[in-house]
Amino acid sequence: MRDGLQMDDRSIAGVDDTILVTGAAGFIGSVLVEALLAHGYRQVRCLVRPGSSLLRLDRALRAAGPRIDLVKGNLLSRADCLTAARDAAVIFHLAAGRGEKSFPDSFMNSVVATRNLLDAAVQADSLRRFVNVSSFTVYSNREKQHGRLLDESCPVESRPDLRGDAYCFSKVKQDQIVREYGDRFGVRYVIVRPGYVYGPGKPAITGRVGIDTFGIFLHLGGSNRIPFTYVDNCADAILKAGLIPGVDGRVFNIVDDDLPSSRQFLRQYKRQVRHFRSIYLPHAVSYSLCWLWESYSRWSQGQLPPTFNRRSWHAHWKRTRYSNTRLKTELGWSPQVPTMEGFRRYFASCQGQRRHA
Amino acid sequence: MLKAAIVGCGKIADAHALQIQRIAGCEIVGVCDSEPLMARQMFERFPIRAHFSDLAELVAAARPDVVHVTTPPESHFKLARFCLEHGCHVYVEKPFTLHAADAAALIALANSRGLKVTVGHDDQFSHVAQRMRRLIASGYLGGTPVHLESHYCYDLGEAYGRVLLGDRHHWVRRLPGKLLHNIISHGIARIAEYLHGDSVEVITQGFVSRQLRRLGETEIVDELRVLMRDDQDTTASFTFSSQLRPTLHQFRVYGPRNSVILDQDHETLLTIPGTGFKSYGDKFFPPMLMAKQHLANLVTNAKIFLARDFHMKSGMKYLIESFYRSVSDGSPVPIPYREILLTANLMDSIFEQLAAKPSSRLADDDRSDRQAAFRRA
Repeated sequence: MRDGLQMDDRSIAGVDDTILVTGAAGFIGSVLVEALLAHGYRQVRCLVRPGSSLLRLDRALRAAGPRIDLVKGNLLSRADCLTAARDAAVIFHLAAGRGEKSFPDSFMNSVVATRNLLDAAVQADSLRRFVNVSSFTVYSNREKQHGRLLDESCPVESRPDLRGDAYCFSKVKQDQIVREYGDRFGVRYVIVRPGYVYGPGKPAITGRVGIDTFGIFLHLGGSNRIPFTYVDNCADAILKAGLIPGVDGRVFNIVDDDLPSSRQFLRQYKRQVRHFRSIYLPHAVSYSLCWLWESYSRWSQGQLPPTFNRRSWHAHWKRTRYSNTRLKTELGWSPQVPTMEGFRRYFASCQGQRRHA
Repeated sequence: MLKAAIVGCGKIADAHALQIQRIAGCEIVGVCDSEPLMARQMFERFPIRAHFSDLAELVAAARPDVVHVTTPPESHFKLARFCLEHGCHVYVEKPFTLHAADAAALIALANSRGLKVTVGHDDQFSHVAQRMRRLIASGYLGGTPVHLESHYCYDLGEAYGRVLLGDRHHWVRRLPGKLLHNIISHGIARIAEYLHGDSVEVITQGFVSRQLRRLGETEIVDELRVLMRDDQDTTASFTFSSQLRPTLHQFRVYGPRNSVILDQDHETLLTIPGTGFKSYGDKFFPPMLMAKQHLANLVTNAKIFLARDFHMKSGMKYLIESFYRSVSDGSPVPIPYREILLTANLMDSIFEQLAAKPSSRLADDDRSDRQAAFRRA
């Protein structure tokens, strides 16, 4: 058993209780499954989509064998949800409609899927906690000054439909439906909001650093701190949020300590992974461009979709500080993998992928 | 004020709502989806009066003039029939229906009630498609088309491919033509526009691509070749491929004097004159003239963009607008019913032949056996 959390004493679930992880074959889900197994849980049910690659889950499957109950199903199927939620004491809900540009597709795979799972959990009547994995993207970050702290008390986007980001819209609505089920059916839940989760196997550079949409990398982050969290640290935080008693209804942001600035990250990435040309756009310039794009999109009735707008600028590129105080004080979390070590592993993995490409 | 409603709040419904918003003098009075959350999310993102989870409620409460049916194809016939029976004109997303008989029944019902229907073949109303139609109508081909070539390809892509291939119960698998049924009608409709009569001879060859077979797929036909011939000897070929790159969306019309090429992806229209130049002139002048045409296409596209009319689904706007006009002032429907029926008939023929010829979906081993037998013979 890992140190830092004595599950037998401080867990709402015993080691023989059924723990359901949706999105178990994903980047965070697979690490969370390993963490649960490492903590001694013997009934870990992994819900994966039919056709999903099980590559990431492979290590856990080989190590744990019968302790993992692999369920292939789709959260859009109520029958599959009932199968998955049966007897589950804790549900870690990580599955989401990521990477969908279409609002309806993203909404269906996030919100409708979550509602189906919640309905199944209510019906199963065994649930002690529902851990909803949300995202930093839900914060509006508008009503505060440049450089101010973003924590769990900050307001969520009030008009996510205007962000021009299907994922943001879906995540805001997903959080809402979880709260609604908490109020209406007494579902005990915790909402966790990871920053940008990085680690081996996820080579992409977060849009908070910059974008390469226009053929050249536009560096937009500058001196901003980037809310990174290493995948192991993130999974550990999610695990604690699901198991530690006394935190029902709470929201936890997940970010690591010693966050690098966007410029520091980019410099290291270029040095250690690959060099590419980038142009830095100062904040005033990127804000103006977002405003221009937004205005043109409106004026042209959507000839260009409103992908870049002032709301997205505030959410992604405004200078902001981040806090993990609540995570540390209420859950006793601390990053197991220091930021330096996390980036060392991440860059090594990116180098490896380039060599094999 | 023309009142529109949308039933089915998935991805394509967004495109409908966006384009309806761009048309003056109409309003979306309601949206409906059997999943109430889906109807609500659409209601929250667009200026829509109300949302429903039951079509009967929508029709009774919002009283739309036109209903857009944007649900999966299996439900098109039932929903469109309901709307017609309750006095609404209907715009049905492609494919119009699953079977030609259903298409004929809907059109007959619309005619009997004095209502109108159309199908979402919006590619035929893009700027470039309209330019091509005008050019052909002006007599550029020099007579009836001799041959038509339609390429309509589709990149299954990692995400969609994984979902479709991984899910044995995906609704696409329940369609008679499976993946093809949901996609090819755009390309077939282009051909139907220029074929004559109702009786068209069809020869079909289709198979599961090697790539899909390697992934364990046995029933999704993703390579299709079709030959057609109408009663005036105009011939046509249709190609659908998930493997071909680039993923072409082209239509070529060859006439007795000149020909035209429409490239949907690049929104370009090229004319191919039947007459050449003398001697080496034929090696130098045509490429120059072709370059000039490409430049003219660039200028045209830029002008349309600057005029704020180059939306990704601008064809849909023009189709909807024409349909609404036909509803309002009694002008002809934008897509003649003959074309809708012929498209449905051609698709029926294609899927029937695919179903009747399992040999056209040979696995590698079967094909090798047959080739070996052929060599021995």
